[in-house]
Amino acid sequence: MVAKTGKKTLKSLRKLTDMQISFCGSAGDGTIAAGDIFKRAMAAAGYQIIAFDVYPPEIRGFGKCIARTRVTYDQVYSLKPESDVLLSLNDAHAIPHVGEVCDYGAVIYDDSPIANIEEGCHMSAHLKPAQLPYGVSFREISERATSSARSRNIVAVGFIAGLYGLPREVFHSTIAAKFANKPRSVTEINLKAFDLGYEQGVETFKIDTCYFAPPPKRDKNTKVLMMHGNAAVARGCIDAGIKNFFGYPITPATSIMEILATEMPKHGGRLLQTEDEISAIAGIIGAGFAGSRAATSTSGPGLALMSEMMGFGAMTEVPCVIFVSQRGGPSTGMPTKTEQSDLNLAVLGVAGDAQRIVLAPTNVEGCYKCAGMAFELSEKFQTPVIVLIDLYLSNRYEAVTLSRKSLFKSDNSKWAKKPSKREPFNRYKLTSDSISPRAIPGQQDCQHVITGLEHNEQGRPSDQPEMHETMSRKRHIKLQAAIDYPNLAACKRFGDMGKVRIGILSWGSTFGECLEAMFTTRKRGITCSAMKVVMLSPLPVDAIVKFMADCDEVIVVELNYEGQFANLVMGAVGRPVHRLNRVTGMPMAVDEIIAAISDLTANPSAARTAAQ
Amino acid sequence: MKQSRRYAIIGSGAAGTEAACQLRNHDPDSVITVVTTSKLQFIDRYDLPRVFDGVDDWRELLVHPPEFYHDNKITVRRNTWVSSVNTRENKLNFRHKETMVYDKLLVASGGGGHIPEGLREFSAYLNPFTTFQNAVRLRDSLGKQGKVVMLGGDMVGLDLARSLTAAGHQVTIFANETLFWPHEIKQADIAQYVKALEAMGIKVVFGRKPVAVEQISRPSKGTSYSRRLVFEKGKPELANAIMPFYGLMPALNFMMGTGVDIERGLLVNPHLKTTNDKIWAAGDVCQIWSPEDNRYNFFYGWANVKKMGLIAAHNMTGGSTEMKTSQTNKLKITKNGVLHSPYWEHD
Repeated sequence: MVAKTGKKTLKSLRKLTDMQISFCGSAGDGTIAAGDIFKRAMAAAGYQIIAFDVYPPEIRGFGKCIARTRVTYDQVYSLKPESDVLLSLNDAHAIPHVGEVCDYGAVIYDDSPIANIEEGCHMSAHLKPAQLPYGVSFREISERATSSARSRNIVAVGFIAGLYGLPREVFHSTIAAKFANKPRSVTEINLKAFDLGYEQGVETFKIDTCYFAPPPKRDKNTKVLMMHGNAAVARGCIDAGIKNFFGYPITPATSIMEILATEMPKHGGRLLQTEDEISAIAGIIGAGFAGSRAATSTSGPGLALMSEMMGFGAMTEVPCVIFVSQRGGPSTGMPTKTEQSDLNLAVLGVAGDAQRIVLAPTNVEGCYKCAGMAFELSEKFQTPVIVLIDLYLSNRYEAVTLSRKSLFKSDNSKWAKKPSKREPFNRYKLTSDSISPRAIPGQQDCQHVITGLEHNEQGRPSDQPEMHETMSRKRHIKLQAAIDYPNLAACKRFGDMGKVRIGILSWGSTFGECLEAMFTTRKRGITCSAMKVVMLSPLPVDAIVKFMADCDEVIVVELNYEGQFANLVMGAVGRPVHRLNRVTGMPMAVDEIIAAISDLTANPSAARTAAQ
Repeated sequence: MKQSRRYAIIGSGAAGTEAACQLRNHDPDSVITVVTTSKLQFIDRYDLPRVFDGVDDWRELLVHPPEFYHDNKITVRRNTWVSSVNTRENKLNFRHKETMVYDKLLVASGGGGHIPEGLREFSAYLNPFTTFQNAVRLRDSLGKQGKVVMLGGDMVGLDLARSLTAAGHQVTIFANETLFWPHEIKQADIAQYVKALEAMGIKVVFGRKPVAVEQISRPSKGTSYSRRLVFEKGKPELANAIMPFYGLMPALNFMMGTGVDIERGLLVNPHLKTTNDKIWAAGDVCQIWSPEDNRYNFFYGWANVKKMGLIAAHNMTGGSTEMKTSQTNKLKITKNGVLHSPYWEHD
């Protein structure tokens, strides 16, 4: 029998100020470039942006690329589970993602393929009944503009801009900036491709419900930049006055080094690509010993190689900063997929008792701030500082509002005063705050050596039991003050205050999704708070205990299999938590968090049993 | 394992959609694919004038909500053009270079507005009225009290004309012999029907042959007319929109070269089967053999078209129902003195 589906009461067309556009294609189609132009133009127009690209480990020729950009009037904290527009530059890759387009959203595809297609391999065969198709001859338009199909992606961007009435000028300037280093003719043909796509978009009758409200007016006193997490890290380094960078490239951290390679010489700094990660960390410890602000960047496999030298840094109490962008692991794992599974390695993974400071920013602006603050903390507490991000945050673009002045202290060291001639210089002097005055090599009357061996106050090797006890305590106690370091929130609570039904505890890039889930949960009438923990080591235990005491149920959300942060929290607090762990290589879906919270509120004891 | 039968339907209008529903009834496990050039799901043409009442959301005009197609497992391939039919291999060839295999095919592609050869070069300046997009563009071009010129006139055009006059617009028809198409009106009766039209506020002019349509890029002061209609003789006529209504032309270019018999439309027997064993036709695209008239006839109007969809689907699944070809669809004048056509009636 034919199912009788009644007509639903229809509301008037939505006036969206919150749109997510996905570009999907094959490596080499210019998918990421199209998404890049789109998001930069939207940021330049004044919208809030959050964007994330997914691409394969292969450089070109095969493998799927997706560039998702969420464009909003107000700030948001994560991508949406559904896009409003999907633009396909390669149907074979885009068809599996058709289901991610919302009802009455648009699916835009090339309807003039050059080769014959097997049955069912064209986008038109896969649209859901409520999705709206736009077939556009991207290839033909590109060939008309540039005598080549290579500008299909630019035509596609132009089509979207024209269809939704976006300002042509900002796209022109964005395209011109993108190709600024190429011959002028390259810019010209791409502008022509954009314009032809734009005109096609203007002529096309819009049937979907997607809509761009005019962007908010900007405050002229603020400086809004569109950047990804790695760029924010690099910017934080520059603003903090980094002088030396030693590194070895590794996905997804490489772009930190690439940006710094360009920027550091302009600011009097130097960058060296070392032969491996061990040399890189050795280099920054040497530079730190010499009084220079120094950093390296790596990913999980590189951090594993660095672990021995991190212990050396902790033992010698030399400031240095290590930026770690996590990817799918273990081993080579999934280099172009995101994961939060290096927490154990970052917090615990060193021989001996070698606690260090580990910061985990939760958004792009946080990357900037944590990068700069890492140098301050490292100097203040004379220890290696790890800034732990992941691929999702490294590659995620956001519109960031930055102060025009640097937020960071240029020198945060406790320097040794000239000792009297009768006293030897005690590099590891025991003090009330356990932080010893430091000196750089060659400083008059402050001669000292550093060693990986346990040592006494002067730095001379000592394996006396009391000395090891004393020095171990010193190296740990001094770090506790980092939790209350000014201008850096070790953790922060959002949402309902006081007693709540649900508490979400999270860290790193996943926190944006947790915030969105928290907002939805509150709208459903359930009291809910979300706490981000930025300082993973030393852990702000008191604040976490207080937060958990306010929550009937606490769920820890993270992108790893073992529940590494949940284990850390349970070990520190001694109270069981619920866990939501995923290792799909993709960011956590907001819907999954909401579903987990719904299960929790419906049947907390069952959920607890499952969690345990 | 038994393979599901694959039904392909070209056209998602009243005939095609009705056929898809009936096929699902008769063959629950089949694969049903409707192919249409439309970007939207089935919108009732008769509802398009609601745009003049302020309906901006096409979703209000859908005959079935999107869930209907999902629930009934009817795949509608929108924005898809059939370029040809390979009757040897039972395949549809799409313009985008994809092929689709069928076991049985129903052609229900309807008809497009016919434009006389002399006016075809001006089609960019003519306003068709077959889609939601056409309706919105017409409304936008008319403004509050616009002027519409209709050419030829037919029952589709007259149906729109009464909606336009009701919405406060001015309608002038430069009529020819298609004024009451597809009704066949005796010469002696024409005057009374024209009078009825005029009672409805529609102006009818005979004897002027249009030869060109021009765009007015700079309307003169006090007017918003953007089109100029030039006649063989006499003063041009200015309007906001010029619309051709010269009857329907079956849309079946893709059937050329298939070996299926075509006159003006696809020729079918009263069971709606074409001269190809695996192809049926329904709606405005087909001419049905009428034993009473001893010729092939078109059968227009919502009720006929929908019934054809139903019968075709029944026969495609093994039934043996005949389309009633002895019909009297007479044009009437109501007690109020206005015109009424059975072709204007719909669900």
